[in-house]
Amino acid sequence: MAEVVYLLCALTSALCTALLVRAYRRTGTRLLMWSALCFFGLAANNALLVVDLIILPDIDLATWRTVPAALGISVLVYGLVWDVE
Amino acid sequence: MRQLLSGTVAWGSAVIALFFLKFQRRTGDRLFAFFAGAFILLALNGAALVIARPDGDIRAIVYSVRLSAFVLILLAIIDRNRRP
Repeated sequence: MAEVVYLLCALTSALCTALLVRAYRRTGTRLLMWSALCFFGLAANNALLVVDLIILPDIDLATWRTVPAALGISVLVYGLVWDVE
Repeated sequence: MRQLLSGTVAWGSAVIALFFLKFQRRTGDRLFAFFAGAFILLALNGAALVIARPDGDIRAIVYSVRLSAFVLILLAIIDRNRRP
């Protein structure tokens, strides 16, 4: 059950990233670019979550998997503050 | 270090939600409401992971909140693409 949740998190966040990238390429709206970058970080976080908890349960990747999420969120905050009106 | 990064995610998500709420008020576009709701869920998820540090089944339940956030984003994008 838990593994299904982690896998779905990884898949849905990757799908969000892909759809946001597609929408940005179609419209050129910079908010979509910043959002896509954020979700790329969140997708990387979720992928590392699957690696950490399912594939390599004996190795603790907790800190490493939080780095891409923090970077993604920070990038979107930066974009919202400086680039989006 | 991990708490700092997790706190960044939680706080940053809450700030992003506020921005999207502002956009929704300004434009009336429900896409921004969906995004705001999703980032509120991500903020709550981030905070829960730092405060409670859950394990086992409880952790899966907490991550279900994160899953809900991503599903909300997908629904928002699908809803937007369906509109003329």
